[in-house]
Parts: sequence; C-alpha cells; structure tokens
Amino acid sequence: MDRYDAVVIGAGNGGLAATIRLLQGGAKVLLVEKHNLPGGFATSFRRGRFEFEASLHELNDFGPEGNGGDVRRLFDELGVTDKVEWVPIPDAYRLISKDPSIDVVMPFGIDNFINAMEKAVPGSRPSMEKFFLLADQTRKAQAYTNSRNGVVESSYMVKNFGNYVRTGSYSVNEVLESLKMPQRARDILNAYWCYLGAHCDDLSFTHYASMVIRYISRGAMMPKMRSHEISLAMCERIYELGGDIWFNTEAVKIVTGKDGGVEGVVLKGGREIKTRHVIANCSPHVVYGKMMDKVPEDVVRATNARKFAGRGFCMFLGLNKTADELGIANHNYFLYDTCDSVKQYEMMKSIDTNAAQATVCLNRAYPECSPPGTSMMYFTTLYMSDAWGDVKPQDYAKTKEKVASMMIDRFEQYTGSKIRDSVEEISVATPMTYARYCGHPEGGIYGYESQYWDGLNPRLQMMAQDHKTRGLRFAGGYSMRLSGYSSAYFSGDITGRQTVGDIKREG
Amino acid sequence: MAYKFKRQIFGFMDLLRFKKMVPKREQKFAEASAKPLPATYRVNETAKILHPGSREVVLEEIVLRTADTKTYLFKAPSPSIFRAGQYASLSCRVGDSIVNRPYAISSSPLQALNENKIAVTVKKAGFFSDWLFDNAKVGDKFTLGDASGDFFHDAIRDSKHVVGIAGGSGITPFFSMAQAIAEGSEDFDLTLLYGARTEQDLAFRKELDALSGGRIKVVYVLSDEQKDGFEHGFVTADLIGKYASGDFTVMMCGPQAMYDFVGKELAKMGVTSPKRVRKEANCVGVRDVKPQTFALKVRLRDEVFDVKADSRETLLVAMERAGLKVPSRCRAGGCGFCHSRLISGTYSIAGADKRRLADVKFGYIHPCCTYPDSDMEIDVPPQD
Repeated sequence: MDRYDAVVIGAGNGGLAATIRLLQGGAKVLLVEKHNLPGGFATSFRRGRFEFEASLHELNDFGPEGNGGDVRRLFDELGVTDKVEWVPIPDAYRLISKDPSIDVVMPFGIDNFINAMEKAVPGSRPSMEKFFLLADQTRKAQAYTNSRNGVVESSYMVKNFGNYVRTGSYSVNEVLESLKMPQRARDILNAYWCYLGAHCDDLSFTHYASMVIRYISRGAMMPKMRSHEISLAMCERIYELGGDIWFNTEAVKIVTGKDGGVEGVVLKGGREIKTRHVIANCSPHVVYGKMMDKVPEDVVRATNARKFAGRGFCMFLGLNKTADELGIANHNYFLYDTCDSVKQYEMMKSIDTNAAQATVCLNRAYPECSPPGTSMMYFTTLYMSDAWGDVKPQDYAKTKEKVASMMIDRFEQYTGSKIRDSVEEISVATPMTYARYCGHPEGGIYGYESQYWDGLNPRLQMMAQDHKTRGLRFAGGYSMRLSGYSSAYFSGDITGRQTVGDIKREG
Repeated sequence: MAYKFKRQIFGFMDLLRFKKMVPKREQKFAEASAKPLPATYRVNETAKILHPGSREVVLEEIVLRTADTKTYLFKAPSPSIFRAGQYASLSCRVGDSIVNRPYAISSSPLQALNENKIAVTVKKAGFFSDWLFDNAKVGDKFTLGDASGDFFHDAIRDSKHVVGIAGGSGITPFFSMAQAIAEGSEDFDLTLLYGARTEQDLAFRKELDALSGGRIKVVYVLSDEQKDGFEHGFVTADLIGKYASGDFTVMMCGPQAMYDFVGKELAKMGVTSPKRVRKEANCVGVRDVKPQTFALKVRLRDEVFDVKADSRETLLVAMERAGLKVPSRCRAGGCGFCHSRLISGTYSIAGADKRRLADVKFGYIHPCCTYPDSDMEIDVPPQD
C-alpha cells in the first residue's frame, strides 16, 4: 500500500479541499498531517466550559441557499455544505478608530453598505457605487481565471473584464483616490485591510475589492460548531470517497528523481511513500528549505524574494457574563489607532506599539455558542515583523500576558464595556504557537504578503510559471490565492484539479 | 451604470501597467538572493523550547520523599520551559505493555531551561507508580511528553493571591509553583494549605519551609495527628478563612474526595464560580461493571490490530496492554491528544463529556476516558 497517485502534505483548508478534488478526479490519495487534528488553523479547542474557535472570524462569500456565493458553490461541489450547520453573521463590522475619530457599524448588502456610508460620509455615494462595480468585475474576472487555471487570453480579459485589467496594477489607495472617494469613506471602507495583512499603499486593489465584495454582497457565515465542524466534514467526505488520512504523520522529505520531479515522500521514522504527485499545504520556504535535497537556483531565488506576511497573535476569552451584561454590542470589531494603514502597519511591527485588533464576540452571531450566562470573545492581531523572534523563552509568558492585557485595555477603552473582571478562561496563541502548530516560518498565519508585485493578480497569471517542480504543487495560504479561509479552500480546489490533470496527462 | 476606470492620462497606460506585472514579478524573483533557504527561524526555535514534544530522557537522580513517595529527576536532551503547575506524561515499556501516566512536574521552570532537568514526584498508588518505585534506577531511559495542562496561574484571569489546597501527592504542582515564585518565573502570592495524614506523610517539608516567608506561606494540615505548629483536621471554610481573606483564587490538587469536601466548604464562603476555583483533573480509573471482554479493532495508519478490551477499562488501557503505540496525555478526557475516529461500536464516557461539539457530531472519541460497551473498531493516530 506504499504507492499513491498523489500525497497531500498537510490537512489544512487547502489540503483538505485538494484531497477531495483529487478523489473526485479518480485518484488514489493519501493525506498526511503531522498534527492529530485536521484543519490546520481551522479547528477549535476547549477550556473549561467553553469551546473556542481557533481562527475563523467569518466565512465570506457563502451566502444563503439558492443565492450562494463562490464558497458555497465550491462546498456544494466538494459535497460538504450539508454536513455543516451554518449561522449568518449579523453585520459586516464595527470600526472604531482613534485617528481620525470614527465609530461606525457597517451592514452587509451592497445597497445597505452604500447607504450606511452615505450617512456616515455624505457625498460618498458615487465613488462607493463605482467601487462596487469595479469589485464585481474583479470577482467575475477571478472566477474566469480560476476556471481556466490561470491560462487566459489578454484580449479576452480586456474585452470582458476591462476594469479588472485597468485597476489590476494599482494599490487600494491609488484606485480609491482615482475614484475621488472622500478620505473618511476610504478610512471606513479600508477597515478590512487587516484581513489581508498588507497596508493599502501596497495591497493590490483587485485583491482587496474582491474580498470586500465577497463579504458585503452575500454576507458571511459561521459554522455552529466552530471551524472544526468544517474540517471534520471535509474529513468525512474524504473517507466517503475512499481517501486515506494519516494523522500524527509528518512528511519530512520529498524525494525527487533524475528529472528533478517528485518520486515519493518520506515520513518521519523513515517510511517512504511512492508517488509522482505531491500537493504541499505548507510554505515553499519549508518545502525548499528542508524537505528537498536539490533545489534549483531559480527556485531558491524566487522563494527568497518573497516576504512573510503577518505573524499571528490571538487571545481567547471565556467570560462569565453575557454579551448584554458586558455591553458587547457587536459581533465583529476592528479597533485601530489610526485609519492610515501605512502608519498602523508600522506600529504593528513592534510588540510594544501594536494594539490594533480584530475582535469577535461569537455570541452576537450565535448566542448559544457558550453556556447560558456566559460569552466568548477572541482578539486577533498581526505582527508585521519578526518581533517575537526577540522574545526569550524565560520572558515568553510575561510577554504574552502583557500583550493580552493591552488588548483588553484597548477594547474597554474604545467600547466602554468592562470585561477584565469577568474572564473565567483565557488562552493566548502567539507566533510561537502558530509556528509549533502548523510549522510556518516565524509563526506566520497569512502566507506571503500581498505586496504590490506579489499580489493576487500576478500570482494568478503566473500559476504556470510558478509550477517549477514536476509533480509538486502548493495549496493553502502561501499559494496563488493568498491567505484566508476562502482563499485557502479555493487554492485547494485549483491545485487539486490541476493535479488531476497532471495525473491524467501522465496516463 | 457603464463605467470605465482610468487613472493615467491615457487609458491604455493602465493596461500597459497591468501587462508589466508578470515581468515585474519575474524580475523580482531573478534579482533575489541565491543563498540557501533557512532551515529554521528564531520563533520556530523558541517554539521547540516551549513545546519540545515527546523525547527520550535519562533518569539522573531518585530522592525518597516519604515512605511511599519518590522524586524522579530526569535529564532531557535539550532545554525546555513550562508553566509551574503543569504536568508531563512519563512513559516506558513494562513487560509487553507500553505504560504512560501524566505526573505533575515538581521541579522549577528555570531548571528545565537552564539545566535541562525536569522532575516528577510520584506516590506509590497504582500499577506504574508501584513499578517506578520498585524498579526505576538511575540511568534508565524514559519518554517524557510535553509539559501540558491549564493548572497554572494566569495573571489576567486569577487573583494575585492564590490559595493552593493540596491533598497528599497533590502537593507536587504547588512545590513547582513555590520554586517558580522564588526564582521569579511566576508572579503571585501563594498561601498553601497542604493536607496529609501525618507529619511523616509530608513531602518537601524541609524545602517548603525554606521557601516560606515573603510571598509564600505554607500551612500543614494533618488529618490523623494533632501536633504543635500544625493545623489538625481537614481544609474547612474556617481554616481557609483563617489564612485567606478578600480576593483570592483557589487552586486545588488532590483526590476527588477532597474536591467534594473542600467544594462544599468553599460554597459556605460563597466561593463557587469556576473563575475562582480551579481544580486539576484526575486520571480516569476503572469502572465498576460486570467484567466482559470485547474485541477491539484498532487501525493505526494502514495497519490493523485486533486486541481485547475489558469492559472495566478504557480503550486506551486496552491498547496499551497490547503494546500499541498510541497517543496519551492527560488521561482525563480533556486534552484531546488521543482524539480518535470511531468506526463502529458503542461506548460510555467517564465523567463529563469534554469533547468538541463537532467530535460528538462526526463520531470522534477520546480513548483515555472511553469504556467499550460492545465490540468496537477505531482509527487512532499513532504515536511513534
């Protein structure tokens, strides 16, 4: 049984989706995962009376039955939609910023969103309408590019998705400036930037716009039993399709043959699995840095060129009072020192100055997610440098606690609610936690940064060129769709289908 | 609304810019360094110290603490650090079985970091602890798991004043905490109410006395002896009130009977919330049912093993008796380390169900707290 058509390394979102695609394409597949659970960051954990979501704030572009978004359609095709119970997220977000002073709740639905913006920033309507037109064309262009596995004709693109091509090389700020969007509206619209982790002078407009419209047009959803429910649903599907999943099984080497292509995978302990196709749901830095012996120079250069995106930090609180009692009004908060994402990005390089946070109270979407009389929150931030690399093991616990405390202070100060005295359970994940859990360099949770030259557009256009090693493809947050839940699922979808093609071509 | 985006003076320039994106990225790739990619990173290296995983350790020293309790000091191959109060799984082969038990760490966090040394202190009270007491000798090799568990002080959640209530060998995590406070790796005030039957049964007596004063106060509570300088009886509300007032967090480690008793006493004081009262979980034991032998089919990757499972014992014990290398950590159902997929069969869970919601939905179990009620088949992630 030591021969498979394909081996998928890593049961993260990308690896799970890719495995299902491979099985649907008739391949014999082994999925290996070094952890004892599937999902990578898509999991949950228990502390006392609480079951915390490990990472998902909201799954975008899902939409209701009958008017599903791309993610629902993908889940339908994978055969997992009905294995999960979904609850809708009430509002898009509440943005609270110090500079400029902003406190606004933005709703889902494009019209609602534009109306709310017009109310908050009179005169913003024309530019907002244009924004959503551009965003819609971007989404359609990407769906087309995906369906063609990145191989598209430029004349067709210009003819059918002209605005996508015209905006495609610009940053968020450049396009919004061209739309003459009032600064305050830009500040509010850009609140989601931290979900992508590059500041708006650098972040590609089309990448940002496609995410915003995915959130706003169909609303977001959350699995009732946390993202662990999605991950186990995917596993169930894999078993149904006859796939093998081996947990506690680390792939340590990818064996290559004379042509430099994949010949097998060596597992920790030495067992070798023969295969000519690997989908790596991990970073090229890890694969080329320690899993392969002979890496061509152009691959080394291409990998060295890339910049690690945000390193994760998340505090999870189980509170012994309800959200009402605590005055937590909303599901999803963005708290920023400044709406200038460039400045905020700089502040997020240091442990002492980073207090930006995306905060979620799951009870506001799903009141029964915690026992009666309690509530649950999670607070997430990113570090835009390797600052945690300076933290010594003996200072680790205190540093964690310092940041956690800053986050609580910040939330209380910005929203006026008092939560500190109600903390019954607390757990904190740092870059070290993420490094250990998924093996990502420096504890990154966002893959490679969406810099202007390495954003979504060039990555999609270069899918063919980026496939440098025969039989080796990448899925997950480091791959062509960049990071985030839906992106990771899409990357697994694309890579899985591409590998099915590779296998068929080999005959 | 027909709208055509334009940023440059001439629209075609926007298109040209788009066309340059691929060459630009190719150029960035070509210009980058050809030096070999790093094999590791600073954060990832620190993570290995925080969570070294299971490793082989050598028994370096054995200290007799009381007539039935010994400290086993191990030398690890590399530095590690933990939170005082956590436990680690100690494992070795005994006969044909692989035996594994979680024991609270009794040494200090900085000793693990600076000297690679970790100690557990174990009372003779069962199969493995008896075996250790009678057989373990300096130089023996064991497997020691990651320091685990949530039984440690959290400065945000807990009061600065901790009332530690220890019953018998439940003193071990508190001894680690006391050392951690003294060395500066933990920052809280500890009032320790340490219950034992007689003075002779007190472990770490000399060491605790030496640590006392300042932030650490130790009160010995003897149930079977009345002596000057010792409290007599059990840990009652009156006794707690005598040594602690105002805001404090209770941390308890000891047998279930002690939790039940002290829990009632605390209730008299109005101290009941889970926030204020924290208990270390105890291992799941045998259940009192009619002895019956079931067939247990265990899948470990692509291997299948047929083993016998006793209705009185957990699935984990059945697999260990058969010498299978399976994951085990808390042995109390809570940590999820032994998370396994149920393929068929019926079962009962010891105590509260601590699984994730989706695990219940999709049929996953924690073998460490699961008893078989029929023949069963399970898929277990192996622990190599």
